Amino acid sequence: MADRRDVAAHPVYLGGGVAEAEDQSERKFIERLARRDERAFNELVELYEARVFRLVLRMLGRRDEAEDMAQEVFVQIFKAVGTFRGDSKLSTWIYRVSVNLCKNRMKYLARRHSEGEDELEPVAERAALDEAKGVTFGDVAQPDRMVEGYQIERVVQLCIAELEPDFREVLILRDLEDLSYEEISEITGLPEGTVKSRLHRARSMLRANVERKMGEKIR
Amino acid sequence: MTDPGHDLEGNEVAASPEPEESLRSMLRGALREEEPPPNVLAGVQKRIRERSKGKFYADGWSTAKHPPLNTYLVTSLLMLAVLGISYALLSPLVGSPVPVRNQPAPVQLIPR
Repeated sequence: MADRRDVAAHPVYLGGGVAEAEDQSERKFIERLARRDERAFNELVELYEARVFRLVLRMLGRRDEAEDMAQEVFVQIFKAVGTFRGDSKLSTWIYRVSVNLCKNRMKYLARRHSEGEDELEPVAERAALDEAKGVTFGDVAQPDRMVEGYQIERVVQLCIAELEPDFREVLILRDLEDLSYEEISEITGLPEGTVKSRLHRARSMLRANVERKMGEKIR
Repeated sequence: MTDPGHDLEGNEVAASPEPEESLRSMLRGALREEEPPPNVLAGVQKRIRERSKGKFYADGWSTAKHPPLNTYLVTSLLMLAVLGISYALLSPLVGSPVPVRNQPAPVQLIPR
């Protein structure tokens, strides 16, 4: 199978030549996928659904949108797996498909957002206080800190949502998904230097935006 | 008012972590997952079935994660039971054939 966990679970692969066996195993798995083997595809979905969902949720910021998008990612993978040449790891390719679809959806949502009413921001700002409303002083030791924590989280979520998709993707891939610069470069199709500079700018923009909204510097 | 680098009790406070680290931990806190990810397999199969107009995941059996052995077994046993019940119900209706006493028809010779 394609994943390291599955490979490790297989006794044949224990010992030397794990990487080679893993490559072979992934190649065979990809061949099955290219033949439109439904069972292989079921395995692929089960293997990657949590990772894909987590990534698209972070990119889109909404659970209902993320679930819909995660399904769409796998449908597109099913359609396009025949074109996958194996130049990169399967997981990297899946990330690439996910990120590209998310960026398209974000652009679509932004267009719709700008055309229609802008309800997100007031709701997001109210949400922090609304969540805090249900909490009494008896419930927590430090209610002020808790409310402050909620507010910071909401502000950070809002600021991430305000980042342009190109900046948001590198920030999420690096700081939340813990991918290497090389992997991010493969996923985004950007040179590593551009990834680094874009990441630096994304962090600066996010920090500045959070500080402006909170009215204090991030420590 | 406290001195920078000291807390309210005057104890020395450790230097703040790297700005990138504090930003990263703030991001992780804001985007942490509180609910488990949903199971998307059934939805994916349904979409593929609809968009391929039934070419993939078409028969309703292959949509299962594993070969549905239990379903096959239960269906077989159910069919055997239906056959048994039908036999039991219908067998009393089956009688022995009524004997027919047919006599050979008389042969009449037509005179020339």
